Amino acid sequence: MIQYVNALLASEDPTITHHWLLPETAEIVYGGLASVIVVGALIKFAGPAIKKSFNARTEKIQKELDDAAAAKVNADSDAKNIRAALGDIAGERARMLAEADTQAAAVLTEGRTRIVAEVAELEAKAETDLSAARGRSSDELRAEISMLAALATPVVVEATLTDQTKNDLIEAFITSVGAAR
Amino acid sequence: MSSVKVEAYARALFEIAQAEGTLDRVEDELFRVARAFESNEQLRATLTDNTIPTERRQLVAEQLLGGKASDTTTQLVSLVVNSGQVRELPAIIDSLVKRASSEKKQEVAEIRSAVALSADQETRLAAALAKVTGKPVNLKVVVDPSVLGGLVAVVGDEVIDDTVRTRLDQLKTRI
Repeated sequence: MIQYVNALLASEDPTITHHWLLPETAEIVYGGLASVIVVGALIKFAGPAIKKSFNARTEKIQKELDDAAAAKVNADSDAKNIRAALGDIAGERARMLAEADTQAAAVLTEGRTRIVAEVAELEAKAETDLSAARGRSSDELRAEISMLAALATPVVVEATLTDQTKNDLIEAFITSVGAAR
Repeated sequence: MSSVKVEAYARALFEIAQAEGTLDRVEDELFRVARAFESNEQLRATLTDNTIPTERRQLVAEQLLGGKASDTTTQLVSLVVNSGQVRELPAIIDSLVKRASSEKKQEVAEIRSAVALSADQETRLAAALAKVTGKPVNLKVVVDPSVLGGLVAVVGDEVIDDTVRTRLDQLKTRI
């Protein structure tokens, strides 16, 4: 075979082509063989790496798909929680409103009770003050009357002391002194 | 003025009145002068005013007593004014009265009354006070309108007060 090829090559003029478009047969043979060798070498040496690369890519994509699925699950869970929380917020709002109403009612009741007590206390104090004022007025009136009486008594007594009365008083003095011992 | 000086003046006045034989009257008149001197601020101010000449003050005293008191009383008061001891006039006269009473073995009884006492009342009062004190009393009556009514008797340390003024004061305190 080799001898045939060599003979063929030797019979050919390398500077002249046989066809304007197609290559020379030998070139096709060589090219075909080289292509087979290159393809074989590629399959033999690069195939595993490529296959490994594809497998890794597949795994990565699968992992990403799994992660996405997990994220979706988590998102669903979060959405569920949020929806639940929203429900809770409404309940809490209602509860707080109810509690506020209760507290307001309690404050109102307490305030009313306190005001009633304060009014009663003020009334009692006013009554006490009134009594004290009445007492003071009464005392002041009594003092005024006493003062006027103290001022008026000597005047009245002097006016009623006639000479006869004065003489009677002298006689009474003499009698009482004389009867003393 | 010391009590010795007061006693000396009192003794001198006493002896003059006694020598004159008018002791009872003079003693009584002097007693009234002393009370008037104590109660009349204007009289006291005039007789003790050193800016007024002594002669003038003597003249005032003599004019006040002239016709109302005996000559002896007038002269004795004038004598005290002249001696510059007029501030001590009440003390001198009180001492004289005490001396005169002591001489008569009597206790001085100073009586204050709103009106003058009759002779009968004085006699009965003197008897009543003598009964109380156990000694005869030399009654000295002072007419004092401020007592209003009744009498107050001061005999030594004892005070018997039954005047309207005192009762009014007690009533005022009670009120």
